[in-house]
Amino acid sequence: MRTRREILAAAAVGVAAPALLRQAWAQQDAIEVGSLVSLSGTFANIGEQVDIGSKVAFEYYKTAAGKPLRYVQLDDQGDPGRAVRLTQDAMRDRGIRFFMNCTNSAIALAVAKEAASGGGVYINQAGADEMTGSLCNKNTFRWPVATYSAVNTTVRPFMKQFPDAKKWYTITGQYVFGDSLLKNLKDVLGEVGGQHIGNSYHSLSDREYSGFITAAIAAQPDVLCICNFGSQTIDVLRQAVSFGMKRNTKILVVWSTGLDQFQSLGPDICEGVYFGANYWHGVDAPGNRLLTGVIKAKLKVTPSYLLTAGWACTQATVEALNKAGTTDVPAVIKAFEGLSYEGPTGLEKVRAEDHQVLKDYYLLLGKPKARMRDKDDYVDVVSAEKAFLSPDKTGCKL
Amino acid sequence: MSAQVLLFGALNGIGIGMIYFILSVGLTMIFGLMQFVNFAHGAFYMVSAYAAFAIAQWTGSVLPAFLISPLLAAAFALVSERVLLQRTYSLPHEAQILITFALAILAQESVTMIFGTSGKNVPVPDLFSGVVVLGGFVYPSYRLFVVAVAAAVAVLMWIAIERTRFGAMVRAAAENAEMVGLLGFDSRKVFMAAFAFGGGLAGLAGALAAPLRGVEPLMGREALAIAFVVVILGGLGSFSGALLAALLIGITQSLMSMIWPGGAHLMIYGVMTLILAFRPTGLMGRS
Amino acid sequence: MMPNEALRFPNGTTIAIAAILVTMPWILPSLTLACEIVVVSTGALSCTLLLGSVGLLSFGQGLYFGLGAYVCATLIRDFGMTALPATITAVVAGGLLAAIAGLLIVRRQGVYFVMLTLAFAQMGFFLALAFPKLTGGENGFGNVPRTTVAFGQLPLSHPIVLYALLALLCFVAFALVQRIIASPFGTVLNSIRQNESRSEALGYDVRRFKLAAVTIAGGLAALAGAMNTLMLSFVPLSAVDVETSERLLIAALIGGVGSPLGALVGASVLSAMSDFLSPIWPRWSTIVAVLLIVTVLFLRDGLLGLGRLLGGAVRSER
Repeated sequence: MRTRREILAAAAVGVAAPALLRQAWAQQDAIEVGSLVSLSGTFANIGEQVDIGSKVAFEYYKTAAGKPLRYVQLDDQGDPGRAVRLTQDAMRDRGIRFFMNCTNSAIALAVAKEAASGGGVYINQAGADEMTGSLCNKNTFRWPVATYSAVNTTVRPFMKQFPDAKKWYTITGQYVFGDSLLKNLKDVLGEVGGQHIGNSYHSLSDREYSGFITAAIAAQPDVLCICNFGSQTIDVLRQAVSFGMKRNTKILVVWSTGLDQFQSLGPDICEGVYFGANYWHGVDAPGNRLLTGVIKAKLKVTPSYLLTAGWACTQATVEALNKAGTTDVPAVIKAFEGLSYEGPTGLEKVRAEDHQVLKDYYLLLGKPKARMRDKDDYVDVVSAEKAFLSPDKTGCKL
Repeated sequence: MSAQVLLFGALNGIGIGMIYFILSVGLTMIFGLMQFVNFAHGAFYMVSAYAAFAIAQWTGSVLPAFLISPLLAAAFALVSERVLLQRTYSLPHEAQILITFALAILAQESVTMIFGTSGKNVPVPDLFSGVVVLGGFVYPSYRLFVVAVAAAVAVLMWIAIERTRFGAMVRAAAENAEMVGLLGFDSRKVFMAAFAFGGGLAGLAGALAAPLRGVEPLMGREALAIAFVVVILGGLGSFSGALLAALLIGITQSLMSMIWPGGAHLMIYGVMTLILAFRPTGLMGRS
Repeated sequence: MMPNEALRFPNGTTIAIAAILVTMPWILPSLTLACEIVVVSTGALSCTLLLGSVGLLSFGQGLYFGLGAYVCATLIRDFGMTALPATITAVVAGGLLAAIAGLLIVRRQGVYFVMLTLAFAQMGFFLALAFPKLTGGENGFGNVPRTTVAFGQLPLSHPIVLYALLALLCFVAFALVQRIIASPFGTVLNSIRQNESRSEALGYDVRRFKLAAVTIAGGLAALAGAMNTLMLSFVPLSAVDVETSERLLIAALIGGVGSPLGALVGASVLSAMSDFLSPIWPRWSTIVAVLLIVTVLFLRDGLLGLGRLLGGAVRSER
């Protein structure tokens, strides 16, 4: 008898309830776009912002290729495995073909593969070089620049301004992304006559950086270059500044997310520090005027990189769909290749050879609090440049 | 690598170690007194750090938080003990681990609900915003302040443990938990006091750490991992062991970051494994 | 507990598990959810075995889960193996690692045992991070081809084939655990759980029995990891982190560790909750935490026990 009750119990608590929640999906006429965002878990701080940015863009664009757009939020909880599952479900059960966004590179790389095997189109914000390099595929596009571009468009203009800043010390995240930044930095320094006098690796789970910073101070560099991402960037910079490193060393953060990081650091720490960023709201470009206008009107905030990243992937998808005039996947991929549009960073162009969006990357300089015109006016734009590896060097074969 | 650099590294390591010590000492005390493994220790630290953030927002300075936040953390610990944890005293240790683990999740989710998912900055108080230069060695004055507070805590605790009747009981209990009752203490009150005090110390660590590293919901998890390593190396329940282990880990971390930072974690957990397997009383304990 | 029934194999629970595995794809809204439940329940089963029959709490099963996942992925991608041989090798690897780690771990009891499992899991995570050439580091281990079950037959690219294989592996794991519990070996494990010193006095080498249990549990967790690789064609770094260990443990606990069926119930509830609640309320882990507290304090047999309790109440009212 127990068996029967066990089945009932299991059915009641574990199996039947979700079945009741099953929803009927209809709306064949709308274009559904799956958005991979992490709303819970470790990457929720990123996912929330990307999600909002995309939603605002959907409300603004409303239609693409003559059909209504529908935003389908897929909460991957920061787990690539879950992202893969949700993508498979969306393709198999709901016939969704268009996907965008990610909160970390592992998710993007995993979803990209699903998009390729399931015949979808996916545009994301991954930082990993592999995205438009060795792991690129026909169905996937990437909006932010690769590490090669980030390093070249920050270090070169920086060196032009300070030709005497020869001695560079790096603090690098010992993971794939940090290592790519470091490798590119060494290449560029070799070309422009800089000298890499030392590096400290920190691990993905380090939180206390004073040891690395004392090592950096002892090396007496002209420039401290920080090669990592996310909250670790904030922590390294905060601690480096607290150790007085700004006094006789210039600090360059190669990869920052801009406004949201400046807000968590505060103007005092940002002052005089150089940051590389994929987006800055103060840049004068038609696409940026549109974006900041819509975001300010809807959310009453200044767009951050993460909000913009959500917007940008939506915009690119809409532009490609409009150009194709159909939701036929091969046609949309074809439309994506060579697509150019007025994006958040100016004229943006999708390169056909590796599916990289060619766009500006900025070198920003933190300004003193007294010179800030409003509460979000943290930096001046020092330079805005495009620099991309030629397609034959990316390792991408489409 | 010059001798001077190594010396700086070691000095800095002592600074890190002192912070780790106040973070961990409450955990080891609670275990010593009542053989209770508290997975919510990091939650006390995190809640207090967030309280410090809120106080800094309201008053414009984090200074008052160094008094208020630890008290709030102590209150939180006390309430948790009364409402939840005391129900587990009669259960096996495994149940205590699981309940405090769940409590830590609850605290983390609640804080996220109130303050959001993204990290926040807590400005260093103006009083300590500069740096101190000691013969070419630059050190932030705020860190110096934290080390001084930690040292004061260590001395006060040493006096309390060596010179008072309560301290005698803590020492006795670390050897044998039944001593609490045998020495004529009301174990109920002792346990409440232990949680309030341990939580308060974790809270002090959290408030002091907030200007060093900002606040974010996952900080409690990281703090717990560090505290466990310290407490196990030092020997569960040992006060002087915790101090020694905290300093050792601080110095190891500071020096390894110059040699092989990726290996620092591996080494620390490797040593922790060996100690647990072969010398569970830790570095200071008698085996 | 249920001394008589549990000591028979196959028993009613065996049939219940088979029935659930067969019906899930039809009842659940998505096949991938069914796949995930099957994977998580196999991993949770390793915690159920340890806690339910020997009384050992492991915060480190994610280590073996991760190892199984990486081994299976490497064999398929770099050595061209098919699913079954790769999975079997992964299980053996997981069991071996667990046996080696177990030599140290079983020396300790209670909280020291728990902390040792945690320390090993942490080392595993940092090792995976320290060797990105082997694991792909934070980007994950990618490009695992969808292989076939064995001998080039039955491609896993077909979702039904994939589910059938995972469900079959899961069933084998459950049947094995039931068989173990019902065996004389299982009886000794149970007596160790109830009173370790008495078992020792009776002449049993407690450490060896614990070591055997830890080894089997390691193999089970590695099996779940390998199944995870087959499901995703990919190994995220998170497969080997402490949160995976916690997830398996939580699934086992809220389901109830008194019976292997609890692992399946717990995994179903946890996975379904995260699927259905996370879009509605991102802070859904709060509910998991409350469930965990309720389970530990009031429902030693987890939701399964609650189901029995309610079932019993309904019956007695009649």
